[in-house]
Amino acid sequence: MLDCEALTKAFDKTLFKNLDIHLGPGEILAVLGPSGCGKSTLLRCICGLESLDSGTIRLNEIDITNFEAEDRGIGLIFQRPVLYPHLSVSGNLSLASKSGHEEALEEVGLSGFEGRAVENLSGGEGQRVALARALLAEPNVLLLDEPFSALDSDLSVRLLKDVRQLLKKRKCPAILVTHNQQEAEMFSDRILEMSD
Amino acid sequence: MATHRPDLGNASGGSEMRNTNKYEKSPKTTNMVIVILLLTIPLSGCVGDTENDRELVIVTYDVYALTDEVIEEFENETGISVTILKLNDAGSILDYLIQHQGREDVDLAIGMDNNFLGTAIEFDLLAESDVNQVGIRSDALGPYSGPLATPFDMGYVCLNYDTDQVDGENLTVPTSLWNLTEEEWRGKVALPSPVTSSPGRAFMLATLDYFDWEDGNDEFSNWWTAMKNNDVIITSGWSEAYETHYTGGYGEWTEGYIGDAHITVSYCHSPGVESWYNENWTKSASLDLPKTSFLQVEYAAAVNGGNIETASEFINYLISPDVNSLMPTENLMYSVLEGQDLPEENGYLLNSVIPQQPSQISMNEISENIELWLEEWNSAMTSGE
Amino acid sequence: MRRLASAFAVMLYSMLILIPIGLATQRLILVTGPNPYDWTKSLSENYISQNVLEFTLVQAVSSTLLTIIISLPIAWSLGRHRWPFESLIRTVLTLPFVIPSIIAAMGILTIVGPYGLDIRTNENTWWWTLIISHAWFNMALIIRFCEPLLSKLDPALEEQLRLLPHGRTRASRLKNLWVPLLLPSVVAAACMTFVFSFTSFALVRWITVRDNTLESVMAEVSSSAGIQGYMEPTSDIVMGASLIQFTILLTSLWLTSVIQRDRKAILPQARPEHVRKPNSRGWLVIVPALIFAVLPLISVVIGSFRIRDLGESGGGFRWGTDGWNQAYHGSFSFAPMSEAILNSLGYATITILVALPLGYALATTINDLEKRSPNLARLLDVFTMLPFALSAAMVGLGVLLGIIKLDVSSAYQFWALPSLAHIMLTTPFVVRIMLPAIRSLDNSYDENARVLGMGEFSRFVKIKIPLLKGSIIISSIFVIAMSLGEFGASFIVAKNSDWTTLPLLIDAWRAKPMKDPLSAPASNAVATVLMLITMGLFMFAERFRNNRDGGMF
Repeated sequence: MLDCEALTKAFDKTLFKNLDIHLGPGEILAVLGPSGCGKSTLLRCICGLESLDSGTIRLNEIDITNFEAEDRGIGLIFQRPVLYPHLSVSGNLSLASKSGHEEALEEVGLSGFEGRAVENLSGGEGQRVALARALLAEPNVLLLDEPFSALDSDLSVRLLKDVRQLLKKRKCPAILVTHNQQEAEMFSDRILEMSD
Repeated sequence: MATHRPDLGNASGGSEMRNTNKYEKSPKTTNMVIVILLLTIPLSGCVGDTENDRELVIVTYDVYALTDEVIEEFENETGISVTILKLNDAGSILDYLIQHQGREDVDLAIGMDNNFLGTAIEFDLLAESDVNQVGIRSDALGPYSGPLATPFDMGYVCLNYDTDQVDGENLTVPTSLWNLTEEEWRGKVALPSPVTSSPGRAFMLATLDYFDWEDGNDEFSNWWTAMKNNDVIITSGWSEAYETHYTGGYGEWTEGYIGDAHITVSYCHSPGVESWYNENWTKSASLDLPKTSFLQVEYAAAVNGGNIETASEFINYLISPDVNSLMPTENLMYSVLEGQDLPEENGYLLNSVIPQQPSQISMNEISENIELWLEEWNSAMTSGE
Repeated sequence: MRRLASAFAVMLYSMLILIPIGLATQRLILVTGPNPYDWTKSLSENYISQNVLEFTLVQAVSSTLLTIIISLPIAWSLGRHRWPFESLIRTVLTLPFVIPSIIAAMGILTIVGPYGLDIRTNENTWWWTLIISHAWFNMALIIRFCEPLLSKLDPALEEQLRLLPHGRTRASRLKNLWVPLLLPSVVAAACMTFVFSFTSFALVRWITVRDNTLESVMAEVSSSAGIQGYMEPTSDIVMGASLIQFTILLTSLWLTSVIQRDRKAILPQARPEHVRKPNSRGWLVIVPALIFAVLPLISVVIGSFRIRDLGESGGGFRWGTDGWNQAYHGSFSFAPMSEAILNSLGYATITILVALPLGYALATTINDLEKRSPNLARLLDVFTMLPFALSAAMVGLGVLLGIIKLDVSSAYQFWALPSLAHIMLTTPFVVRIMLPAIRSLDNSYDENARVLGMGEFSRFVKIKIPLLKGSIIISSIFVIAMSLGEFGASFIVAKNSDWTTLPLLIDAWRAKPMKDPLSAPASNAVATVLMLITMGLFMFAERFRNNRDGGMF
């Protein structure tokens, strides 16, 4: 499904070197590591927002290493919800798909939120809209960059459970990066540890 | 402020006197034009000339004699289509011609005077035209009588004073230019700069003759330095001196009026114009001292490289009795034709003076020395107290 | 694609700025010779320019000081008190700055002229009138720079200081808190005020008598500059004045940007509601300020209906719309108002069609470069600010001497030419307005759109433009208003031609013969139209201003 081989990236220091990641269909992987170890950069490299120093990424046997981010079909949930303030919830969803908003919102537990202005959403609601939007785009793989770390831990755990259920239901493979061991264990099928 | 602003004639002509309106359009057309223009703005720079067989492009300044009627009649009579490019002032015409030399885009220049004509000839800007100059009075042909330019109006530049103030009690009427350097005239004389104003330049030329300028004779410089030390008001243009500073003319009705000068440079017939406008009343008078006035003649001239034939036709039209007799009332200048004087109505003629002894400086001398003279004037005006 | 657009924008901009200025300079140097010392010496050696530098400096410094003295109390009471109709007050106080100076000149002239207060009678009074006019024009700068700081600074800072030994008195709090906090903003605003007063043209032209700034003296001698063997000193004056002006403006602008960079220190902020005290005596400052701000504007309107009556007494007035009628229809010497409006709108349209995309592309380029090569970004940043140091007169001369007088086709046939000057003058403003907006645009908005699969064009249309809408509208309005009201450059460009615009028509009606009782009202009528258009534009812009963070615009 997703095969990353010998991924290498350095800024001032080496973030990762010759890193291999293989993700099977519907599999959920957690990348665990302390802050600043390059987890976020790894996700940004995989989805194409950052370029690799070396290594190849193949998705369904196609080499996508040199594809632009918008052409890879890989979704990303940022640390804080990125919602466009000039658009309503529904307008934000439209950026991924013109239809299916109702179901998508229902899936993330936000039925009836279509017309809401995004500045009135709480942090948890915002991230769920972002998730609904990412899923509407029907990504081949979904990447999650500590999506609920800004929320309190009870809520964070509950949301992660919901998201896992959702991903499993849709058989959507995913990679979560986190610095929280408990979250990683609970959310993923398999854990990959990164160190400094 | 306006440079080279030339004369009371052209400058004071209230537009209430004329109903001609070269711009008038019906509102409906205007609206349509707005719409069309807005749609075609990016293209409108490229719109070319109208397709017409015989054309005439005139470069001029705000010469009031060129009214719509005058132009239209010419177009109807000859079938020539006229384009007028109206510049800021007489000096700008010379600037324009120098800058556009060899461009062949202008056929006729109207409004350069004998201050500038010599330079224009020297720069080889003008072409011989085919004009019948019979009937032009000899004094108009005094400065220049060749085939390169034809006079169309004239007037004498001289000092004008306010008779209410210069009444023998407050101030005495000057009998010599040196009187103006005396204490009683401190700060009360307004003169347009010879650098930027055409009447100002004419007056400076007059003073050259008055003080018998030649190498080794410093009178000219000394007088101007003395004037400077007596707080003479130098303005950039005629209108600022006459309207803003001079108390004797219509300036007091204008918004920017200061009224601190009782003598200034204008035309010897300016008091006549004042009287003509004010129903036979004026407090302004010309000062007719020998060699303090200067004949200014304005010319129409075919431009080198332009269409000499159409240009000549227009010049002939401009000096035809029908058109040229309009000069005193339309352009507030003398006609150049024999037997055409100012009208007597409302004291126009009565209050106008033909100076006894105007300064004599030939056009050739002017174009040869003008840069030198302006430099001398400048150093006289900038030398220390 | 994007890099190509960037390269194209930088190239086009360089050509638009450098070609006219370069050609004009080359042409002038052919006349003057290459020695800068000779140029500057000509300023003191020529009668027309001999005291100009001194006058320009003294009036600019005096204007700056008076502006600070007048505006600081206004900024203080506006920032520290609660106001009903706050945004209206703010808009009114900003008006003088956004109204074209030619309109201000007409209004002020009407107030101080012989049929108003009649105080413009000698050198002293017109000098002070000029200084006060500059303070009127620039007070919005000080207010806009200082008021946000005053209205948002966390009151805890002052409350804490009150409890400390060195903050018990009003004076000590002023010394230890307010002066150090406000100083950078005041100095930055003062630098801008100095620049605007230094390059004052319309106000000097109309309010003083025979005084010139470097700017207006350049305009005065422009028509004969650049010709070999003919009136050569005028070329020297232009080069000398340009050189000095450019140096002084560049220094002031550099100083402003250094100060502004330093003042970026983040201060603890609170919402204005918590900072502001109930308003008691603030009205004593604000009411006179409001009257001061609108008086010249109202007098323009009144002046358009007031006609000198040449009746028996000669000095009376009557009221009527004849001036409007005259301005509408034009006369032999003057184009009708519709022609000026059409020309002005045409020039504004061309200006915005070029300046907005160009300014946006330049701002984006700077923003992109800031990550990849900060030095190159800074270079381009400074380069786009360069035209600020080129005054309107210098730009006008650039177009006149660099393009018109070299142009292959006849200058008067190339109708669009004045907009070149407007593009040169407005593009830097677009960059200045767009750049902070583009910088503050969270990059994750773009990244998120990319992972949603949106292409470059789609992101530009659906994400960038809507997010930048406010800045785009504000800079558009700014460009249109600037182009409509531009006087200095147009004046020089139009001096050798047949063009007219609204500001030129205002000037022409007033500058030409005043025997006609309708010329002043007609001038005021055209000024009223331009003023209403400008005010309408800025009221519209005000609705899109979402942050009042101390920018000038």
